[in-house]
Amino acid sequence: MSDVAHAADTAGTAETAGTADTSDTAHPADSAVLAMIAGRVKRLIVDNLHLEGLRPEMIDEEAPLFGEGLGLDSVDALELVVAVEKEFAIKIKSNEIGRDVFSSVASLSRFIAGRV
Amino acid sequence: MNREVVITALGTAGAHGCGRASLERALAAGAPPPATEVDRAAGYHQPEGARRALITPVAALAPWLPPAEARRMGPPSRLAVAATRMALAEAGLDPARLAGPGTAVVVSTAFGPTSFSEALLRQVLQDGPESASPYLFTECVANAPAAQIAIACGARGVNVTLCQREAGALLAVARGAAEVAAGRAERALVGAVDEMSPLLHAMLDRFGALARGRSRPVRGARRPDEGGEIGRPFDRRRDGVVAADGATVLLLETAAAAARHGREPLARIRGWGSAFDPAAPPTGWGASGEQLGRALRRLLLRCGAAPGGASPGGLGALDPPASVSGGPPGASSPPGASGLLGASGLLGSIGAIDRIVSGASGARAGDRLEARVLRAAWGEAALPPVLAPKGVTGEYGGGFLAAAVLAAAGVAGVACAPTAGFGEPDPDLGVSPHDGRPLPPPRALLASSLAAGGAACWLILGRP
Amino acid sequence: MQPGGATQAAPAEMAARASGGRAGGGDARRVVVSGLGAVSGFGWGVEALWQGLRAGATAIRPFSRFDHAAHRTHLAAEVPARPPAPVPFAAQPEGRLLSLADRFALAAAGEALTAAGLGEALGLLPEGAAGVFFGSSTGGMWESELFVAGLFGGRRGALRAVASQQVNGPGDAVARGFGVTGPVQTVSSACASGALAIAAALASLRCGEVEVALAGGSDSLCQLTYAGFNSLRSVDEAPCRPFRAGRAGMSIGEGAAVLVLEPLERVLARGALPLAELAGAGGACDAFHMTAPEPEGTGAAAAIAAALGDAGLAAGEIDFVNAHATGTPLNDAAEWRALRRVFGERAGRIPVTATKAALGHLLGCSGAIEALVTVLSLARGELHPVPADAADPIDDACPAALVIGRPLAVPAARAGLSTSLAFGGSNAALVFTRWTGAAP
Repeated sequence: MSDVAHAADTAGTAETAGTADTSDTAHPADSAVLAMIAGRVKRLIVDNLHLEGLRPEMIDEEAPLFGEGLGLDSVDALELVVAVEKEFAIKIKSNEIGRDVFSSVASLSRFIAGRV
Repeated sequence: MNREVVITALGTAGAHGCGRASLERALAAGAPPPATEVDRAAGYHQPEGARRALITPVAALAPWLPPAEARRMGPPSRLAVAATRMALAEAGLDPARLAGPGTAVVVSTAFGPTSFSEALLRQVLQDGPESASPYLFTECVANAPAAQIAIACGARGVNVTLCQREAGALLAVARGAAEVAAGRAERALVGAVDEMSPLLHAMLDRFGALARGRSRPVRGARRPDEGGEIGRPFDRRRDGVVAADGATVLLLETAAAAARHGREPLARIRGWGSAFDPAAPPTGWGASGEQLGRALRRLLLRCGAAPGGASPGGLGALDPPASVSGGPPGASSPPGASGLLGASGLLGSIGAIDRIVSGASGARAGDRLEARVLRAAWGEAALPPVLAPKGVTGEYGGGFLAAAVLAAAGVAGVACAPTAGFGEPDPDLGVSPHDGRPLPPPRALLASSLAAGGAACWLILGRP
Repeated sequence: MQPGGATQAAPAEMAARASGGRAGGGDARRVVVSGLGAVSGFGWGVEALWQGLRAGATAIRPFSRFDHAAHRTHLAAEVPARPPAPVPFAAQPEGRLLSLADRFALAAAGEALTAAGLGEALGLLPEGAAGVFFGSSTGGMWESELFVAGLFGGRRGALRAVASQQVNGPGDAVARGFGVTGPVQTVSSACASGALAIAAALASLRCGEVEVALAGGSDSLCQLTYAGFNSLRSVDEAPCRPFRAGRAGMSIGEGAAVLVLEPLERVLARGALPLAELAGAGGACDAFHMTAPEPEGTGAAAAIAAALGDAGLAAGEIDFVNAHATGTPLNDAAEWRALRRVFGERAGRIPVTATKAALGHLLGCSGAIEALVTVLSLARGELHPVPADAADPIDDACPAALVIGRPLAVPAARAGLSTSLAFGGSNAALVFTRWTGAAP
């Protein structure tokens, strides 16, 4: 089962609509802020995705979330979206839920940093 | 096409534990397993209401559910997948052998995924719609267990979930048997699953469905079923059911395939039928057993199992006999009867029903209707021994279905104890369940279920 | 699998025939549709439905059933309110206990029975001769939400609000309302429920278990499913656009549909004419994922092949497809793959109707209402269009021959296929054929 494909097609428009800009140069975020956000994201993953035996410190920020790495799928991504929206009081549009933003904890953290 | 269908595996989970042996022990002991105090913290329950339910020990399911797989499953899916694996393990079947388009799945549930639905509703109504959890929603559908079973086994045949309350379990078996008999599937995983959340328990209690133990515990009583919340099938003192959760999954396949693979059937499926009482209120049972009794009698007649002898009411009176796959137009097959299986597609006369497994549960109106239906169908003839296992299994979950199959399989322990919960006959009913004296294995067993709301379903199981 | 040409049976279909998938063989009773009833976003009744469909309109619009300001989307195909009217010849006990889904179902069943010329005559059938086979996802969930909201707020609430809460509520209400004493069952297999219910009715009629079947479904809008599908980001903010390049999700609808099914000879014997024949049904499961369809469409193709085998028809004999076509990127792509598997290169030329663009997704009822539309398409020789949208072309990746903008006349269409690809992977397909008046 190709979870990578699922993640890319989570809302179906990642391939057709523009994805959110996650490059550092667009919105240079303080590395301490990023680290703090990443820490909260890891906590959300642990608390919301019911991955047995997983602790935040075990999550590699640059490792893929989908497919390999944690092996999450499209429904996990969506669950994480709800948790992130609530935790950071932001709104994530459906066409932003795609391969780029959610490829790793680091990319997701950069996205969040650009929003809060 | 009209192939003979047999049951070759059974998995069951309930308050009794996991696996058929644990249920057999509970039935042989003639007493229900310990009930669990239902969590009342949410405040749904009435102070004077029922407090207990028969709940499957959660830890008992763990060996059957790898965490990576179970992490997103709701309680019904966990129960159903675990029971499926138990069935396959007991039959010594490699699950990979089931994978493919020839394996159908038919699951019934009375109430569906109540705890996840409640949690999702809390999110939507209290925290706002955008806080709705995809995890919860995915498992909020009645068909989640059937879908999870299919994924777990690679079962790519037709996948059906039925909801018909207390009659659903037998309907699911009938539907699965029909698929296999007609050649639309090679085998079918069929069964029943229900969870029993505090909200559901409280609602059943508010509708007056649950036993509250109006008979107070008797000091010094030796028998554990004196007083307290007890399901008392057919008993004069009955005051409701004991709610239960659990799941039972059966493997159905053709007799030929079972023989080819050296799998001993537990029972043969000889026929089924269903009917409806339009006079029943949506949450209860009708008062008259006459109409449903006629429906049952038509089924028995069509099987050649009419009480009181094979003829003149038996098969010979129908000419020509109709096969499952349709007879000539205008065939005189009486309506209301249903699928019947025989090795060659013709009706094989079953001979007399010599065992009944009744869905009587302690429900006041439900048991009365059940008694009236059986009496109406049997007429002047004496009823065969009536087993009423819901005093042990409780109502909902798959316990009744499992007990019926074990009874048909001739498992001695099923009938060797006096009926749990029963002690005083109800003169209004004219039916008393089995007292525990030894019985030979049955030749033809009728399982009977009447749903609140009006549906009825009967299943005839033959000796393996 | 290599797609074959128009005259070559697709391997999947050949396999279905080889496995003896056809129930009953040549002696099986032929089952026809003798009456239809519907409630939809276009209104109460089949004519309201059909006129809305023909016009290429959509019933997906802002709705008022509940406050959707805080939901992620704001459209649905809501059934217009109308004053409760007693259904003729139906028992009307305890009307307060009926859910909205029950009311939809009763109205549709009453209309269907009247159209079939049965009505009062249903009660004259031998006991046990009629059955109800229904599909639903929500049952009385809408009313239950109101009740449970009260519970969360510490209020007791009136029990009658949840008296018909379960998904078998609408089917049971129909049985109760019309005095049905034969088999009554409700299927709740998500989007495949209605089609699987019709399949159960077909089997029951063929083997003589019943003489008349009321087969259909009913679902009403509720916050649970509305928020739930939105949590999956499956719902388009605009009315859904099946097979279009810019499609972004499904739209939710509500309503009911009932088909009266009978053996052919019964219908002819009372001088009535069948609307269409229900030639076959089939089902198969993806066994792949709880929400996403198997991308290659093999499960859907297997269901279609099973239905064709059951009907004794070759893929080349299907003249149009009423597709499941929810408008989600994944569904339509997978469904297209399934159509390619079954129809080969012809897949891009078979006319396709996408009823959900007009009615929304009726969830458990969808297979039933789309079966009803398939029957109408055959009986009236016309395929309804989806609303025209010049700005949004067909997606190259799923180039179905979608009927757009104007109805397509198909007076010679003999066989139509209706597909249902459910959440959770259960797939079902139905094959209807046009009644031509030929002797059985």
